[in-house]
Amino acid sequence: MESFIINLLNGLSWGMLLFLISVGLTTVFGVLGVLNFAHGSLFMLGAYLCMQMMHFVPSFWAGLLTGPLLVAILGVVIERLLLRRIYGRDITFQLLLTFAILLVLDDAVRMIWGPGYHVVDPPTILSGVFSIFSRTYPVYRVFLVVAGPLIGLVLWSFFQLTRWGKIIRAAAVDREMAEGIGIRVPILFTAVFGLGAWLAAVGGALAAPHQSLAPSMGERIIIESFIVVVSGGMGSFPGAFVGALLLGLLESFGTVFLGRAQMAIPYILLATVLLIRPRGFFGREV
Amino acid sequence: MKRKRLLWLMILSVALIGFVTAAPASAARTVKVGFVYIMSGPFSAYGQFAKQGAELAVDEINSKGGIQGHKVKAYFEDSTGKPDVAIRAIRKLVYQDKVDILIGLDSSGVAKTVVPSIPQMKTPLIITHAATPDVTGSVCNPYVFRISVNLAQNVKAAALLASGTDVKTWTTIGPDYAFGHQSWEYFEKYLKPMKPGVAFLPQSEVAFPPFKTTDFSSYINKVMQSKADGVLVSLWGGNLIDFVRQARDMGFFDGKRQVLMTLGAATEVLTALGDKMPEGIWVGTRYWFLANDSAINKHFVKAYKDRFGAYPSYNAQGAYAALYTYKAAVEKAGSVNKQKVIKALSGLTVEVPVGTITIRKGDHQALTDATWGKTAADPNYPIRILKPIKIFKSTEVTPSVKDTGCKM
Repeated sequence: MESFIINLLNGLSWGMLLFLISVGLTTVFGVLGVLNFAHGSLFMLGAYLCMQMMHFVPSFWAGLLTGPLLVAILGVVIERLLLRRIYGRDITFQLLLTFAILLVLDDAVRMIWGPGYHVVDPPTILSGVFSIFSRTYPVYRVFLVVAGPLIGLVLWSFFQLTRWGKIIRAAAVDREMAEGIGIRVPILFTAVFGLGAWLAAVGGALAAPHQSLAPSMGERIIIESFIVVVSGGMGSFPGAFVGALLLGLLESFGTVFLGRAQMAIPYILLATVLLIRPRGFFGREV
Repeated sequence: MKRKRLLWLMILSVALIGFVTAAPASAARTVKVGFVYIMSGPFSAYGQFAKQGAELAVDEINSKGGIQGHKVKAYFEDSTGKPDVAIRAIRKLVYQDKVDILIGLDSSGVAKTVVPSIPQMKTPLIITHAATPDVTGSVCNPYVFRISVNLAQNVKAAALLASGTDVKTWTTIGPDYAFGHQSWEYFEKYLKPMKPGVAFLPQSEVAFPPFKTTDFSSYINKVMQSKADGVLVSLWGGNLIDFVRQARDMGFFDGKRQVLMTLGAATEVLTALGDKMPEGIWVGTRYWFLANDSAINKHFVKAYKDRFGAYPSYNAQGAYAALYTYKAAVEKAGSVNKQKVIKALSGLTVEVPVGTITIRKGDHQALTDATWGKTAADPNYPIRILKPIKIFKSTEVTPSVKDTGCKM
């Protein structure tokens, strides 16, 4: 029983991190139509900048607040200077460009912070453990389980209920029509890419107390995020949520029950979804 | 304008002629050394440390007149930890840069693939990190040498430690590739005859997380849930850091189980973990900067610390020691000729920071001591250090040439 609860919490907390990263990826794809390979690097940058800000103000919350904000600003700069030029072009340009950004960011991190490992301490209030029957479990991971859906709910309300959210969705559906009724789509795109970068960075900052920081930590997570986005449905918000939770839980329980076959789980999930429902769980008709 | 250009051209050609004629005048040619380590990706820290150790050795040797009067020039290539990339890098070093000696290799997977094709390139290779027994065993060949502690030596020491505990059942958590699996296999092979009553969990109940894992909690849960009271941890690098932090929070180090970490005493791991590394855990390494009081080691630790601001890791020592080993071989051979150097390397005894090592003739594995120790806090150091340090003599932990399966 206790083992079941611990596995459940493991799966949920990992799923929540995946969700935060995937939701940024899927939003950028849904609105801008860009598949951002550098998303994992923005995740990494979020973690590193959170750590860096904690050197100036020794509080995790300060790092969580300021680090991702800096990454969002970087996202805005990337969109204005680089991405903007390739919207109408062939998809290979997107892949090349975002992959180049990934390489540049990874090397930049290596040059600034060095190749070694870094760790970030969780905030004092969340650094303890609590007991589940005879076992202990870190409070921080439970915090992740709670924080994930909260951020998700705020985002969802933003997209569904606010005027800005509706404008973004309108632009995603039909860019020309949106421009026709007077929406300034270019600024909107910049904002959305900044938001996507911010989400990736928040994921990175939240992951920092839980895993070590090293250059190219983003490359490890981007593959699973892609799997989440594709199986949830490209551009779908609830798809990212369901996909991330499903993958997190499958991996967590798979470790215990499947042994080594566990490694194949993400790919089996992806293959199954693509065979049965090629558009993903919540994918729109193309 | 035109005249000026002409003047420049003349100066240039004079300089060139001077250069060309001057070149053969100096008898010494440069000795080219090719280093191949992981320079990118999650394990790039290891390559960077090796590079630092190598640069230190190159500068020291060059400032003292080089190797037999030859200046040393270092070439660095990124293996990325992938066999196909590593072999391409090595080919480039041999055929394009024309290096005299190859040094490096981090991953056992890379080493095992690369080693069989080294004889074609007719260039000696000194391995400084990759630990798989196979490269000085089933796939050994005359061109390949290893100066670092290999998996068999390290795990034999672990088994000797384990035989002194009252653990009844052992399990393992290790990376899901050759290194993790072989560590477990050798541990069982060595410990069983030493302590017949002890049990080992079957393959289905031990934990082998994939290399890319960052969340170890479900594996930790699996190990804690099992009935084992002893755990052999063969995770390394970032994997080990993540594991220790997460395991600590989940109460893994509650004193109910004996923990042996085969690569826990790596300085990069201890530096990142700081006081998060639990005390009183047995950890092993290839080199520990405080384990040896020799003048050579003291000089190395000081020179490294002064230049790079950190205590040298085992990979830094490995690259540093390899170049000095090569230097000793050239001096013994009296030549940089590759075939002569290979002959000299075989059976060579040389003192390097880790201690005095002898490259065994039969399999080209260095007879070098295995270092283990218990983690302890010390106010003089920002990281956990080893106290007590336990050195296992090379004769105690090295399998015989016959057992390695090496046929030259």
